[in-house]
Amino acid sequence: MNSEELKNQEYKYGFTTDIENIKAPKGLTEETIKFISKIKKEPKWMLDWRLKAFNRLKVLEEPNWQKPKYPKIDYQNLYYYSAPKSMKDKPKNLDEVDPKLIETYNKLGIPLNEQKRLSGVAVDAVFDSVSVATTFKGELDKKGIIFCPISEAIQKHPDLVKKYLGSVIPISDHYFATLNSAVFTDGSFVYIPPNTRCPMELSTYFRINASETGQFERTLIIADKGSYVSYLEGCTAPMRDENQLHAANVELVALDDAEIKYSTVQNWYPGDKDGVGGIYNFVTKRGACRGRNSKISWTQVETGSAITWKYPSCILQGDNSVGEFYSIAITNNHQKADTGTKMIHLGKNTKSKIISKGISAGQADNTYRGLVDIGAKAKNSRNYTQCDSLLMGNKCGAHTVPYIRNKNSSSTIEHEATTSKINEDQLFYCNQRGLNQEEAVSLIVNGFCKEVLQQLPMEFAVEAQKLVSISLEGSVG
Amino acid sequence: MEQLFNIDFKRINSSNDKEAADRKKNFELFLKGGFPNKKNENWKFSDLNNIISKNFKNITNNDDYKLDEKIETIHDFEHNKVILVNGSLKSCDLHFEEKEKVKIETLKSLEGFHHQSNNNLDYLNKALSIGGFNLEVQQNYKCKKPIIIYNYFTANLNNKIINNSNKIRVSQNSELTLIEYNIGEKSKFFKNTFEKINIDKGGVLKNIILQKTKCNGYFYKNISGIQDYNSSYQNFILSSGLKFNKIEIDMILEKEKSSCYILSGLNLSKEEHQEIKTQINHLAPNCKSYQKIKNVLESDSKGVYQGKIFVKDIAQKTDAYQLSKALILNDQAEFNAKPELEIYADDVKCSHGSSSGSIDEEAIHYLMTRGIELRAAKKLLIKGFLNEIFDNIPEEKIRTFLEKSIAVQIDEIR
Repeated sequence: MNSEELKNQEYKYGFTTDIENIKAPKGLTEETIKFISKIKKEPKWMLDWRLKAFNRLKVLEEPNWQKPKYPKIDYQNLYYYSAPKSMKDKPKNLDEVDPKLIETYNKLGIPLNEQKRLSGVAVDAVFDSVSVATTFKGELDKKGIIFCPISEAIQKHPDLVKKYLGSVIPISDHYFATLNSAVFTDGSFVYIPPNTRCPMELSTYFRINASETGQFERTLIIADKGSYVSYLEGCTAPMRDENQLHAANVELVALDDAEIKYSTVQNWYPGDKDGVGGIYNFVTKRGACRGRNSKISWTQVETGSAITWKYPSCILQGDNSVGEFYSIAITNNHQKADTGTKMIHLGKNTKSKIISKGISAGQADNTYRGLVDIGAKAKNSRNYTQCDSLLMGNKCGAHTVPYIRNKNSSSTIEHEATTSKINEDQLFYCNQRGLNQEEAVSLIVNGFCKEVLQQLPMEFAVEAQKLVSISLEGSVG
Repeated sequence: MEQLFNIDFKRINSSNDKEAADRKKNFELFLKGGFPNKKNENWKFSDLNNIISKNFKNITNNDDYKLDEKIETIHDFEHNKVILVNGSLKSCDLHFEEKEKVKIETLKSLEGFHHQSNNNLDYLNKALSIGGFNLEVQQNYKCKKPIIIYNYFTANLNNKIINNSNKIRVSQNSELTLIEYNIGEKSKFFKNTFEKINIDKGGVLKNIILQKTKCNGYFYKNISGIQDYNSSYQNFILSSGLKFNKIEIDMILEKEKSSCYILSGLNLSKEEHQEIKTQINHLAPNCKSYQKIKNVLESDSKGVYQGKIFVKDIAQKTDAYQLSKALILNDQAEFNAKPELEIYADDVKCSHGSSSGSIDEEAIHYLMTRGIELRAAKKLLIKGFLNEIFDNIPEEKIRTFLEKSIAVQIDEIR
């Protein structure tokens, strides 16, 4: 195998699509924001909202408490909007979409042509700053489910957007969330009407293509009373020597008796073996269990990105609400991850569960950072946290930084964490039965991650399992 | 910040002009940052600035070291006596030990106390420290009896600040059990102590911190130590009864086979706030650290545990364990924990656990069905919860004494 082939094997989504782009002028200015708002044909209230966030951004400082440090980002030297030229006038149906784009998604294994899909997954495909296509719209419409790009929702469903946008992640939040509020380009909007079970998995596939461009998508999911939705998110980017910023905001709102299941397989370009290039994945994900008996469950498989820095969180406001967080974070070579969750218990009888598995190999650094906060009014609440770390080699690091706060006497918090290497006995056992070292490690690691992989929807679980093995390739021996 | 203080530098003895100038410089540096507040990650759960400004005004430094009453000593077991009055070494009686084997004197210089960046109380201590004790155990000498430091505070310390610094050296293959026994209940003062510990090859230091009765004191103690090959450090923190207490321990396990144990059993009641913060640095292979922190929280008390285990890449075969448990007896009480691991070596066994909650209802039910009334059942369970800490103290007489003093505290729980 020549070196080129080897490279492709490492990160098979590293190709670029050569396509003509429309870009906003470089730099983070009021003009850029106005440009984005104009090209998206946004109403005035939306522009005002963005500008408010932009003004707020001016007084905010970039946080620096995280473990992975990175060189200062020059926000003025970035493009905040980049879209394929062919998308300027929104194509009415798939036949009008640039074949090059369709081909890109086919190459990524995301066919946008509905007939070709075997499994019932509706996809919203986001390419740089615009949504390319959303599949299965008609079928969803029948049930009253809204699944569309957020830019479309702003025009067609302003009341819903106005009511919920920024209600979980306010524009005055931390630096990157506020940055997103000012310059977000596209993303998905989901509304599930009362007492409706979404008949298929909804999915968004994010693709960064243009260089020197940041991707700032915004996703808003609202599950009305008694509804259920399972949402998947996937992402890839080309291989480049530069670091690219991806600062997304995801807001979830679950009303009475509603349930949202949010799964992510994050496979942004991680940079090469020497740590050159790769995506900075600084994402804010937060869900609010507003209603009684509501439930939000986050599942994430983090294998890509040069730096992953995110804490999908649950605010458990409604009585009896449930928050869950299942995570696998794999870092290899020079990758760095600082991830975890926040479970904020406010309502009575709220429950949360955190299962985090961190694996570091090469010279990578992997941090679990989390908060469990049980307020004084959250009587009879319960939390269970388990975070396990696996180290491969003595050049990598595994860290655990949990914050645990308990403010009432009827609630219970349990936290457990372990750090170890792969058990020699298990390896020996596998070797003895004819598996080579790499296969054995892959098997053991998959077993280590099983608790989390089980939580993924079928379609994703297979892909994720493969990813786990690929991400660790070359880390053994 | 400045108006909070009324410091008189003339009250502190400086050995030379340079020292006097350094003190003033350090004090100015302290004033610049003031007392740490919750914006400082180390003080996230204990906002000292808020606590001090709420409870103190016109803080002055103390220059009175006269004993104003007779100190009641412990009769439960034989021991050597060292008496500190308001942080200053008053007298010592080491008659159980061989001559010249154990030395204790007033600490004269702060040499060896390294600057701790990001700790403003370090500036404060260096500015106002009145010394303290310098204790050294000679090579190959195992102390026959424990040393009790009667840490006595007089009744006239309202709004006073006491800064002292101690040094302890346990030389090669020697052993020492040191009990710090704090006495003084009446006045409301702030004490800021820095302690430097060196344990040489094969040395063993057991340290017990105990509070005689409830006290209006606000204490901060910073312990930093270095351990040599095959040395052992054990610290038992049982200082319940203070209004505020933060003990910060930074131990460096520099050479192989050294071990560090930190155990704590605290029983906090109304308006009490205690924090234990540890950092155990595993810098060499085959070292062991073990931490067990237990808190019983009543009324509106607040318990905090921040523990960090750091394992350097060469420190293979490290065995590090951390456990913090809290029993929360009242809805106003609060327990905060941040058990942290930072690990760079792969062949290690590191784990931590933390739990907090109320007393197990089923256990109470079990006891009550056997004819034990509710209050007694609760106390029994609390006793069992805290007594686990003493299992690691081999000397029976000391253990009984500690159990007795904890029992008195538990009896006060309603």
